[in-house]
Amino acid sequence: MKSLVIKNLHVSVEGKEILKGVDLTVNENEVHALMGPNGNGKSTLLAAIMGNPKYTVTQGSIEYDGKDLLAMPVNERSIAGVFLAMQYPQEIPGVTNSDFLRAAMNARSEKPVPLFRFIKAMEKTIKDLQMKEDLAHRFLNEGFSGGEKKRNEIVQMEMLKPSLSMLDEIDSGLDVDALHIVADALNRMREENGMSMIVVSHYERFYQLIKPTYTHVLVDGRIVLEGDASVADRIDAEGYDWIYREYNVQPAAEADSTKKNNGGVLGSCAIRVAAESEGSK
Amino acid sequence: MKTIRCNEDIILQEGLNEFIIDSIRDLNLSFTCDVDCEVFVRIVACRSLKISSFTEQGRHVSFLFWNESSSHLQVEESHIVMKDGDLSVAYGEVNPASMKRHVQVALRQPGANALVSSASLVKDRKDYVIEVINYAPHTNGNMKNFAVMMEGGNLNIDAVGKIVKGAHGSQSHQTSRALSFEPGQHATIVPELLIDEDDVQASHAMSMGSVDPDHLYYMQTRGLSLSQCISLISTGYLLPIVDTIADETLKGKLREQLEKEMAEL
Repeated sequence: MKSLVIKNLHVSVEGKEILKGVDLTVNENEVHALMGPNGNGKSTLLAAIMGNPKYTVTQGSIEYDGKDLLAMPVNERSIAGVFLAMQYPQEIPGVTNSDFLRAAMNARSEKPVPLFRFIKAMEKTIKDLQMKEDLAHRFLNEGFSGGEKKRNEIVQMEMLKPSLSMLDEIDSGLDVDALHIVADALNRMREENGMSMIVVSHYERFYQLIKPTYTHVLVDGRIVLEGDASVADRIDAEGYDWIYREYNVQPAAEADSTKKNNGGVLGSCAIRVAAESEGSK
Repeated sequence: MKTIRCNEDIILQEGLNEFIIDSIRDLNLSFTCDVDCEVFVRIVACRSLKISSFTEQGRHVSFLFWNESSSHLQVEESHIVMKDGDLSVAYGEVNPASMKRHVQVALRQPGANALVSSASLVKDRKDYVIEVINYAPHTNGNMKNFAVMMEGGNLNIDAVGKIVKGAHGSQSHQTSRALSFEPGQHATIVPELLIDEDDVQASHAMSMGSVDPDHLYYMQTRGLSLSQCISLISTGYLLPIVDTIADETLKGKLREQLEKEMAEL
């Protein structure tokens, strides 16, 4: 059984500590909902598991299937079965979806995938996710709408068949129909391959469709509360204030908002904003 | 496919014309284009090459020069386009040898169009001087240069768009892009627009730099190694040059050759 085991994980971004000791175990076929206010470390945790070079692990360990993930480069983590469906998928001009996916499939197979089999699999996946038929020949995410980009992440997931998928706000930008299409695809993959998932979402509607086994609430870089799916229900109904009160914690984003004029930086969204403003100088 | 070993005046046939240049001496070639045609020229060996072409009124002509020479190549080119003629001249430069090319395109009569494009995988020194000159009213000149810089490569492009006095209603546009994957590469691109007429449109776009690290990260999260990312991105950058030729069989062969070359980067 393939398990993800995270122990005492500390992660910094640009010298600022975002994760302050996270422990998490994800077993095969489990769905873990990761909740928490914005800027408190959810995306950071997923990025650290995937190996984003902007995030520095300062302490702790991440093992998957008994292997030390932290010792592996990003592409080897992917080949080991880890997949990150991103909040902001990149647009790569000049590289078609089909060339990209074929290269990615070949990277995890001893022999190149026969062209005919690839085309058939691609056609089926495009149909499953109800994408436009010309997807294969379009450049990777270039000119895609927000919803198309998110669905294209799931196309890639279905083609690459990971054993552990992490979804970073994959439901944002999806309309109700698309949300159902994506949830159906995820549930099918879970049924077929025993895929486990770590799902970051703010919306109860999405959790209702994919039925988490566990819910974790991340506040200021620590998991302060763990429970079953009912935690997500209560957060949806009441927000996070009851957690701050009952567990005596303060969210990092709130703390940060009081000094945001001092240039505090938190989480991947903030890095993105910082990078964009840097680029515009 | 005809092999050229000495000076020739070539009258092109309708459809696809294929030539191989394989000579130990200097060559002087002229092409007359009085039919709609495509011309593919594979350069295997040549010391110094002089090429001229003449696109007759209303004709559509495409040239693709594919450099496979293993030693230095020096080329002087002059292309003339007459009334309502449409000329496309493209260069595939993925061989690991140096090259110096001076191209002049003259849009001589109203309605003449020309596109000069290049795709270079730069492992040695590649020097281009490309001039597209609008001599007549309502003519359109365009240049598109794409290069991928490799270790030891040195690229120089001087791209000149010129609209002379009296060539009103004309357009001159150019785009040049050079991409590198590691620090220390050298590329110089000088876009020039020399405009001597008021009622015209002209533009230039230029970018040089390394690949966005977020792009590389995204591709690596799907299992691609850095060298596989470089191959895919470079192929995407340079491959459109084969679309100069409409013939699907030849296009397929060139695509395969380019992809193989890129896979070995």
